[in-house]
Amino acid sequence: MLGKMAAALAAGLMFATPVLAADPPSEIKIGTLYASSGRFASISMPVYSALKLWAEQKNAEGGVYVKAFDKKIPIKLVSYDDQSNTATASTLYNQLVTQDKVDLLVADSGSVLTAPAVAIARDHKMFLFDQTGTGASFFSKDNPYIALMADPVSTIWPKPVADFLTQDGPKLGIKRIALLYSTNEFTGTQANAVRKFIQDAKAPVEIVYDQGVPTETSNYTVIINNIRAKRPDAVIHLGYAPNDIAFLRNVNEVGAKFKWLFCIYPGLETELLEKNVGVKGLQHVFTYVPPSELDYPVNFGMKMPEFRALWNKTFSDGKVEFGFNAVAGYTTALVLEKTLSVANSLDQMELRRAVFSLSGKLKTLDGTFALDETGGQIGELTPLGQLEPDGKGGLKFVAVYPHDVATGKPVYPRP
Amino acid sequence: MLVYALVAGLLFGLYFSLVGIGLNLVFGVMRIVNLAHGDFLMLGAFIAVGVSALAGLDPLFAVPLAFVVFVLVGLALYYLLVPRLQGSVDPEMLSIILFFGLSQVIEALTTIAFGTSERSIASNELGKILAGLRVHVFGGEADGPVELFGQSFPASWVISAAVSVVAILLVYLYLYRTRLGTLTRAVMSRREEAFATGINVDRVSAVAFGIGLGLAAVAGVFTPFMFGSVTPAFGEDATVTSFAIVVLGSLGNPIGTALGGVVYGISYMVVQTYLSSWADLLPYVLLILILLLRPSGLLGRRVRVA
Repeated sequence: MLGKMAAALAAGLMFATPVLAADPPSEIKIGTLYASSGRFASISMPVYSALKLWAEQKNAEGGVYVKAFDKKIPIKLVSYDDQSNTATASTLYNQLVTQDKVDLLVADSGSVLTAPAVAIARDHKMFLFDQTGTGASFFSKDNPYIALMADPVSTIWPKPVADFLTQDGPKLGIKRIALLYSTNEFTGTQANAVRKFIQDAKAPVEIVYDQGVPTETSNYTVIINNIRAKRPDAVIHLGYAPNDIAFLRNVNEVGAKFKWLFCIYPGLETELLEKNVGVKGLQHVFTYVPPSELDYPVNFGMKMPEFRALWNKTFSDGKVEFGFNAVAGYTTALVLEKTLSVANSLDQMELRRAVFSLSGKLKTLDGTFALDETGGQIGELTPLGQLEPDGKGGLKFVAVYPHDVATGKPVYPRP
Repeated sequence: MLVYALVAGLLFGLYFSLVGIGLNLVFGVMRIVNLAHGDFLMLGAFIAVGVSALAGLDPLFAVPLAFVVFVLVGLALYYLLVPRLQGSVDPEMLSIILFFGLSQVIEALTTIAFGTSERSIASNELGKILAGLRVHVFGGEADGPVELFGQSFPASWVISAAVSVVAILLVYLYLYRTRLGTLTRAVMSRREEAFATGINVDRVSAVAFGIGLGLAAVAGVFTPFMFGSVTPAFGEDATVTSFAIVVLGSLGNPIGTALGGVVYGISYMVVQTYLSSWADLLPYVLLILILLLRPSGLLGRRVRVA
């Protein structure tokens, strides 16, 4: 009888006492890759630099608050250089998971260098904090090990572009559209989306030129001549920053006058493009309006002016430009920080639950962080804008679509 | 579209002839595989960016500067590295490893010095000292494109092609009209016999190495105009393309490289016109084709025994 009572007491005590977490680690290991050289360096380094900036800032404050241990813990950024090489990236992602045993896995920037991480994370059941890899194939209902942090999935990203062309375009006289894209996950997905949106709209517009070129393309003179031969009213060019630089320079060098011209990176990396294409070459170009121009309400982290001031102070040598990718890296950092503050453990599925619990509630300088069920980012918008002379020798953004965020009318045709 | 592709290909190809000719000179004389060739090209581009951005000068001034600086760099590098390589059992294989390492070092140092972002020069900067002459010859506007066969091409392409032609002619004159050039060809033909006949093989080779690097740097001056921008990582792709052109023309025959460059340029532009997504495979396809069909290259007389 006495034995039974003792056993019952022991069992009762066991259920009454909360489960004690394991000893807190001396540091939270966040594993990531960056590209200090190669084709993707100019988009990767701003993202990585922002992540590092945040880690240093938090460590100076004693670390980040980790709910699982109810205390602040310093961060250790375990990072390797993949040199823009996907094979190297695969090896290094594996190393982060199997050798370094990082607590949180963060992908490099862009779809090309994120692609190897998606499969590796899934195989190892590691949750992948996907910074800016927007390729549609990364997100599916049967893969719970990924969420996109800082820009929308490529499938919805170009919707404002396509909607503008199909809804406002015919009124302006736009009937013939040329579509040129780099054949990689990021821009290839966007091209597919543009094509589908245009076809589904059944508007009186047709795609008269539709070509993919290798991502490594750095010379567009002949292609521009081919596009010109099709007499399009609107030209959409989807490529990475080096593609946009080469394309826009070639457009100006051969004196091509496209009446409506869209490129991605004049909006995302405006400073970089201004340096390489020049203000004149960017005038009246259509592009995505970056978060820095939209002044989103913030409920966590620095506001845009504060972040930009800190960036300019930290990277005053100008080797890493401020732009969308810097914002994306910092946004990822904020999601990481908030996730650790609400996750009950560092178990990967618990991290996922924590990330998804932020959806719709977290508002950063990049807009509202919101995920769909596959982990795709759907909260951060990409309105269509046009770069106009600001009257002081520079450029300003004019949002033109959707109409509810528009700050001005489009200039068509481009002078 | 075809005419445009052919003319653009010719202009583009002449530039690539200049890209490859230095590499072939170095290989021809020393049997050294310079895997850092593209990195010297990239450094030439940074000299042009410096001349334009810092000094505010026409990038054409970077041409003699880049050539002289890299001839001197080449001479120094030659005496530092090459005699030791030549004394080894397998200099060709060791040169691959050595110059691959050098390529990595150059890229890393340039990244540290200048960052990873793209650098470029406004296209109307190139040849602005010759703008009057250009307008006189081709018409049009001083900072606009050049009209050829009724179609417009970037002025920088025409200038780059013109400089390439001059450089190739000078290399030809050097090789076939100067005493040092004759000695260079003797070393290219039979290195051991040249040595046995009393030719100062080291001196001839050092000059050829310097000129090879100097030509790479001169080609680099035009890189920001041909490719939109340049980064420290540019060298790797440039090296691969250079090898394709050199093999296409004929290994060890610098003048064959001129032909190889033009064939490459025209092929690239035609493929880009009709099969654009396959264009970047071209260097590899051409390499495979030439190795299968004519291993000695277009102007080669025999297959080298490597």
